[in-house]
Amino acid sequence: MINPMDLTGKHVVITGASAGIGRATTVQASKLGARISLIARNEERLKETLDMLDGEGHRCFAFDLNNVDGIESLVKNVVLQGGALDGFVHCAGIGPNRPIKLTKPSFVEEVTRIHFFAFAELLRCVSARNCANDGASFVGVSSVAAVHGNKAQGAYAAAKSAMTAIVHPYSKELAPRGIRVNTISFGMVETSMYKGFLETGGNNNELLREQYLGVIPVEYAGNAICFLLSDAAKYISGGSLNYDAGALS
Amino acid sequence: MTDQEKLALLEETFEMDEGSLKPEMKLDEVEKFDSIAKLSLIVLMDDEFGKIIKSEDIKALVTVQDLLNIMTKA
Repeated sequence: MINPMDLTGKHVVITGASAGIGRATTVQASKLGARISLIARNEERLKETLDMLDGEGHRCFAFDLNNVDGIESLVKNVVLQGGALDGFVHCAGIGPNRPIKLTKPSFVEEVTRIHFFAFAELLRCVSARNCANDGASFVGVSSVAAVHGNKAQGAYAAAKSAMTAIVHPYSKELAPRGIRVNTISFGMVETSMYKGFLETGGNNNELLREQYLGVIPVEYAGNAICFLLSDAAKYISGGSLNYDAGALS
Repeated sequence: MTDQEKLALLEETFEMDEGSLKPEMKLDEVEKFDSIAKLSLIVLMDDEFGKIIKSEDIKALVTVQDLLNIMTKA
């Protein structure tokens, strides 16, 4: 039996590994044989993720990615300890809803910083010659909001859209080294972000009308990202893979 | 913050005319208190008063006065 999504021997760096999609991706990637460097703010939750993993050689790095200027030394440290990387996934992010009236500059800055500024800087650093192996795969977690945002998603939609835009040029620049750069656009995934959506009055019926295959279980989101990291996705680059349970159809 | 100031803040947040919101009004009769307004209220409670409230907390409020009563620092 073959496994086209095998990640054996690959060193993968995952941000947001402490919860949600990041945690699920880390777990699935470990089951597929990857060796993972986990990055997130919360050290305790990182350790919880670590305990869930198959295999060995995984490392935790507690770091607040809002410190964009510190990302360069973070990546150098990750590579120093774990070697050059074959995969990178940016799952770290927040999903706060605010209507236009409350979308003040400081809020726009906050949302854009963690989703886009951090992603852009991480891509710049992981793509350095001695950091990424040829044939590496870089993935940013984006959202259907990037092209089809709902009310109160202004800042979030724009930040995610920026992530999706940046992978087009970067894919072309890194292609000579066989490095692929993509985003994956998820519909609503069953994480604390979904819980937050419901707790702030989100209309579940309306959501399920658009996303008619249902809210996406987090392991499926993790597997979709692992697919993009794997050799099976070798000819996918410079775009966004839709994994939206029907939301954009 | 006085009740007058709180009412003014709510009127601004819900984009209502000055002086149109009264404490004795029932929230479900305030036309502008729609889902976007409720979301704005959740954000407002956090930003101005440091309180995290949820949609179910809002459902428990009946009158504008009930709302004024929770608008205190956490």
